[in-house]
Amino acid sequence: MPLAEMERLFQDGLLGSSREILSHVNGNAREDAGAMFGVYRNAYWARLVESLAVDLPGLKALAGDAAFDHLARAYVARHPSTTRSIRWAGRLLPQFLAREAPYRDDPWLTDMARFDWALAHAFDAADAPVIGVAQLAAIPPELWGGVTLVLHPTLDCFAVSTPVDVVRPLLLADPRAAFDRDRRRDGGLMVWRIGDDLKFRAIDPLEQDALAAARAGASFGEICETIAARVEAEAAAMRAAGFLRGWLEWGIVQDIGHDAPGSA
Amino acid sequence: MLEDSRLPSCSHLPIAAGIGLRAPHHAQFAAERPHVAWIEVHTENFLGGGAALDLLESLRGDYAISLHGVGLSLGSADGLDSAHLDRIAALVRRIAPAAVSDHVSWSVTSGAYFNDLLPIPYDEEALSVMAANVQQFQEALGRAVMVENPSTYLRYRHSDRAEPQFLAELCARTGCGLLLDVNNVFVSAMNHEFDAIGYLEAVAELPVGELHLSGHHLRSIGNRSIRIDDHGSPVSEDVWSLYDRALGLLGPLPTLIEWDSRIPDLDILLAESAKAGAKLALAPPRRATAKAFA
Repeated sequence: MPLAEMERLFQDGLLGSSREILSHVNGNAREDAGAMFGVYRNAYWARLVESLAVDLPGLKALAGDAAFDHLARAYVARHPSTTRSIRWAGRLLPQFLAREAPYRDDPWLTDMARFDWALAHAFDAADAPVIGVAQLAAIPPELWGGVTLVLHPTLDCFAVSTPVDVVRPLLLADPRAAFDRDRRRDGGLMVWRIGDDLKFRAIDPLEQDALAAARAGASFGEICETIAARVEAEAAAMRAAGFLRGWLEWGIVQDIGHDAPGSA
Repeated sequence: MLEDSRLPSCSHLPIAAGIGLRAPHHAQFAAERPHVAWIEVHTENFLGGGAALDLLESLRGDYAISLHGVGLSLGSADGLDSAHLDRIAALVRRIAPAAVSDHVSWSVTSGAYFNDLLPIPYDEEALSVMAANVQQFQEALGRAVMVENPSTYLRYRHSDRAEPQFLAELCARTGCGLLLDVNNVFVSAMNHEFDAIGYLEAVAELPVGELHLSGHHLRSIGNRSIRIDDHGSPVSEDVWSLYDRALGLLGPLPTLIEWDSRIPDLDILLAESAKAGAKLALAPPRRATAKAFA
């Protein structure tokens, strides 16, 4: 049998219920081929579930061991690994939890998975230098409207509906820790890394929209317009300037783009 | 890089004991810089940059480094992923490791990734596929690599040669070296009921550039048991004994302690490495009848 066909049969046996591969392999004198093939099959599932547990410790603590195992296997069944590194196997888990019943009914699950994943991403993402407030101050104020930001590659920002950043450390310290499951909070979380230090910060919906616009390449003037649609016009520029100063101070801005002085 | 005539060209590692450096030990290892001759890391964990790659670069000056791949899927009939190979080549240029290796196995087919080291048949077609992929690997890196013998739990009915013969033909066709995992030999020998020492004798003349040692466990199936290679416990006494025999047949070789699950304190890993180092220090030189790698 051609090697490509053999590998396809092996795949079918690992991912599904096909037993056709068993007619092409031998176990040993003590065990039949089915028992020995089961070693590979069990390892495939167990390895992925274990990897998800390592990458998403907050989710495991929130769900509990048995429920986590169940949801992880449901996820792997829906999304077999399509990445060479097992490290990325869980990248679609937050979307899976947000979409699939019964998990979609509990926003804590999606928020925790999203938060766990952002922390893991921030650790793995490439480093880059950051600039501070001084670099912005060097740009003539009349050019600020056209300023665009290059945000740090470790930065992630996403909407949440629960205070998951407050609860996660409690659950990691004690998975049985009590918390108010009905508690909600609108806004977002930003996660990034400075050196070896992982950082995160809860932000209100307005700042989350502003940061999302900046990540999409909006200029400072466009960010001001985004904010002006939500607050009084005279306050919009002040709020935007405050956000920008904060982003520079926290170390999430890698570079600033702007027109040269005197350019049309 | 210094050549050691006792080693084949695929290995520039010191003939001493090293450890597999894994994420739970990164911070402690970087801070304490423990006394160990060399370290091996999984290549795929350093392809994305970030803090892990910064750490590896910071260790380059103090330790010889081996890049050990687990994801190239050298046995895939689909061929190699050229983008992945390019990333590995870039990492090799950046780190200039003392050795580069991957496995005699496959893990990818038709876009599905199994994140495992799955067995290949030992026949002419698989040999041709492996040889073409290993050659492509070596050409991309501009250097000889090593391939590791797998631990296996089943055998293909249409395999027409023994694993040592397959490895010998692969080394001869490509010029690659062998990373001989002593634990894998033991696990496969016990599961398939072949003679582990006979296996070692059959590969003794191959260009072996590195040895691996690790733990395995017994899993019960009914009232019987099989050996599972999980790298999650100390090296067993049986494997230490087989290691002694390997050193007697092959002479002293760079030896790595691998520990990938239920990872213990760094001190325990270093103690296992020191145990291997003590055996290496007492190992007889390579037998005069064996092939030299001058």
